[in-house]
Amino acid sequence: MKIRRVIVGLDPVLQSRALLEAAVELAGRMEAELLGLFVENQDLLHFAGLPFAREVGFASATRRTLDVESMERSLRALAQEAQRTLASVAGRTPVQWSFRTVRGSPAAELLAAAEEYDLVIANLDAPAELPPSLGVRVVRAGDVETLRRALEEAGGGILVLAGADDDLVGETLRRVLER
Amino acid sequence: MDISTSHPDSLQALAAADLCRRCDPDQFKFQTTDELEDLAQVLGQARAVNAIEFGVGMGRDGYNLFAMGPEGLGRRTIIRRYLERLAPRGQAPSEWCYVFNFDTPHKPCAVELPAGRASRFRQDMARLVEDLRAAIPAAFESTEYRAKHREIETEFGERQEQGVGAVGERAKNQGIALVRTPAGFGFAPRHGDGVMNPEEYRKLPEAEQQRLESAISVLQEELESAIHDMPKWRREAQRKLRELNRQVTRAAVNGLSEELKAEYQSLPAVLRYLASMQEDVLDHAEIFRQPKDGEQPTLFGVPLPLSEMGESFLRRYQVNVLIEHGGTDRAPIVYEDHPTHDNLVGRIEHTAQMGALVTDFTLIKAGSLHRANGGYLVLDALKVLLNPLAWEALKRALRSREVRIESLGQALSLISTVTLDPEPIPLDVKVVLVGQRLLYYLLHAYDPEFGELFKVAVDFEEDMGRAPEADLLYARMIATAARQEKVRPLDRAAVARVIEHGSRNAGDAEKLSVQMRDINDLLRESDYWAGAAARKVVCAEDVQRAIDARVERADRVRDRLQEEILRGRLLIDTTGSRSGQVNGLSVAQLGGFSFGIPHRITARVRLGAGKVVDIEREVELGGPIHSKGVLILSGFIAGRYAANKPLSLAASLVFEQSYGGVEGDSASCAELYALLSALADAPLSQSLAVTGSVNQHGAVQAIGGVNEKIEGFFDICRSRGLTGTQGVLIPASNVKNLMLRRDVVESAAAGKFHIYAVDNVDQGIEILTGVAAGARDAAGQFPAATINFRVERRLSEFADRTRAFGATAVAKGRRRTGPRP
Repeated sequence: MKIRRVIVGLDPVLQSRALLEAAVELAGRMEAELLGLFVENQDLLHFAGLPFAREVGFASATRRTLDVESMERSLRALAQEAQRTLASVAGRTPVQWSFRTVRGSPAAELLAAAEEYDLVIANLDAPAELPPSLGVRVVRAGDVETLRRALEEAGGGILVLAGADDDLVGETLRRVLER
Repeated sequence: MDISTSHPDSLQALAAADLCRRCDPDQFKFQTTDELEDLAQVLGQARAVNAIEFGVGMGRDGYNLFAMGPEGLGRRTIIRRYLERLAPRGQAPSEWCYVFNFDTPHKPCAVELPAGRASRFRQDMARLVEDLRAAIPAAFESTEYRAKHREIETEFGERQEQGVGAVGERAKNQGIALVRTPAGFGFAPRHGDGVMNPEEYRKLPEAEQQRLESAISVLQEELESAIHDMPKWRREAQRKLRELNRQVTRAAVNGLSEELKAEYQSLPAVLRYLASMQEDVLDHAEIFRQPKDGEQPTLFGVPLPLSEMGESFLRRYQVNVLIEHGGTDRAPIVYEDHPTHDNLVGRIEHTAQMGALVTDFTLIKAGSLHRANGGYLVLDALKVLLNPLAWEALKRALRSREVRIESLGQALSLISTVTLDPEPIPLDVKVVLVGQRLLYYLLHAYDPEFGELFKVAVDFEEDMGRAPEADLLYARMIATAARQEKVRPLDRAAVARVIEHGSRNAGDAEKLSVQMRDINDLLRESDYWAGAAARKVVCAEDVQRAIDARVERADRVRDRLQEEILRGRLLIDTTGSRSGQVNGLSVAQLGGFSFGIPHRITARVRLGAGKVVDIEREVELGGPIHSKGVLILSGFIAGRYAANKPLSLAASLVFEQSYGGVEGDSASCAELYALLSALADAPLSQSLAVTGSVNQHGAVQAIGGVNEKIEGFFDICRSRGLTGTQGVLIPASNVKNLMLRRDVVESAAAGKFHIYAVDNVDQGIEILTGVAAGARDAAGQFPAATINFRVERRLSEFADRTRAFGATAVAKGRRRTGPRP
């Protein structure tokens, strides 16, 4: 099956350059278009909207209060940064790329994108169950065989789950392409 | 005892042959200088050459050389020639590099390498760094490294997971979600898979809200304490990673540097450097991993500092080759033309970075002491002394036997920018200072260290003896110089003329000047005139033309002075005779051109208290030597004529129309003649001029510039027309100095101009007055009518008259007081 579009999920929390590089390389090799999809996680905004919303800093281990405005500001800044990173990585290659921001649940948005686009690479845990109506095949990083099969057969989009290990996605994609 | 002659009229003018020692071209067998061999030896400088040989051969400390003598002798050329000849071959000195000091970065280390190895060492190190830049990233790309790296990361991740995950689990059990935010974690009530909407939350019963809020507060505290340990775990993981990195790097570095270590086995300093470099590379392996542009290396998402990254950091592994002696196998001979402090001891350059001056060991530059290390350094003494602190730096280096690079700003504490303190380099150099004699004697007198450090004086001569065989040697020297200067060959008459000029330059018929600059100039100028006359060989005519043209270019002042005399504004008589007036002669030197000019000297006498007044001295126009000459006259007159009587003479002496200063005693003879003439009232011939100094016994003594003086008077006489009676009286001891112009000699040969060589005052006064001087007879009396007789009688009269005045005054005094009753 000919992949025409590759979408890469850009997460506000787990920004991964390795994932981005893997996606750019894949798009380049398959002569496909690339879309960077930045999902503004709805959960974060909900969380920030709670009256007692507190954040415990990862590095400082201290508590900070949050509100919706500051969270939105912070998400906008992260989206810009993600776009810059995409521009710097993809800009060096001939790959045609674009960038889009959506608000919602990452899993839902990416699955929806996977329907529309041929291949989605995203830093997601596996959704508990997928509605069968979705014509999306889910492949976990490292599962080279499944991905290869999915690419050979026609029908619907493919969602590659990067999981925690960024490097593994790149390796998996590379190995599939080498065959 | 007085010196006087017994044969008054026996003194003859000198023969033409005595006036100039010609060089006979026919004594030479060659036609042109092309037939002559080069002269290898240095003419007339045996003392200097022996000193150079001794100084170069003497290996001990402090035997540095000072080549002294006036400019234009070719001191530098001779020194260079001898150094090249004597410098030991087959043992090129060591080469030196500066390398980074990994322990104390501001003190770069000096590394000594055998000749020809420094450049290789630099290339080897550059290649090593290049290889490391390929090998280290390759090692980090290996599967082994990645697996181990992942292991450490996973371990850290798990620990983190455990800490945060446990809290998350507890939260989940209470219906609370752990939310990952961009900067940390938070807790929120769950709703399905996601977080509860604030609207829904507000709809919850108050009790439920309170429960959630307090549960979240507890959870937050738990999370805080869990995260609190995380930096510790991260540090540990980082340490493990560093250790892993070191291991991987070590393998890559060891493999590459083993080869170099084997190659530099015999050089412990290089091995030491390589060992420290290896350790340093291990500490900074990330530099070699060449991060891609714009990407900052991170560790667990935390960016690493970028301050020391990149190419500039790798400079520390460069080798700064300070001195190399590529291709030569001999001791270096360095002539430093501009011996400033920095040019001597080297300097540390700075580059401007963001407005600040920074430096590193690669910006250390060698000085001439470094370049001359193991060989010879030739310096101009005056230039060293004129450049601030250069002399002190030179002495310090010679005394401590090491070159320490220290910037002037640092030495004077003027600048306190970042700078270096490079390790000093051992120094083994022989310094040759070239300078004037005065400088040598002044330094010797006033700088106590000078005598210690410059023990070998190389004293150059201005002239050489003109022994019969010297003419041919001199001709060969001319031939050598002509070839070196690439001028036309000289025929033998031209050579003879150059030799005569050399003798004239030496101011002595028995000497030849060895002022190479003057000889070379004359050759070049003669060549020019030969070219102008379209000749292929330089003839005597061209040499003469060159000499004449040179005089013509320089003689404006002389011409003006002579013109003033001929116009009668400067009063000089060249005919007739007059009492108490004589033509003296002086020499002026202007811009390397000397010329003689006559001066009228007059004397007046009267009764007085025995004092000869030197008017020049009274108005401070006369120098001390001139005054000394005048005082000697008093001594002579008193001793000869007034031994037993008071000298009741008052005399005044003056250089007429002299408005500058007068110095020297060469006019003392003329002054004495004027005085004697005034006392004896015997007119002196004005067609003669006099030069020479006199002592208290009346002996005439040698003076300088005799040729110029004679020619100066001759020019005036000739312009007015030679009468045949004109001439000059010179001291007999100056006859050897006569190298007169050809026109003077020709006039003398024709009997139109006379040079008299005078031994004592009596001879001179006889020639000038035409009256016998007279010698004391057995009774101690001078014969009547002689000059001496007349002088003595006059002085005796003065004495008697003084006594008479004295007696009258006493008598008057008695009359005034009167006899007592």
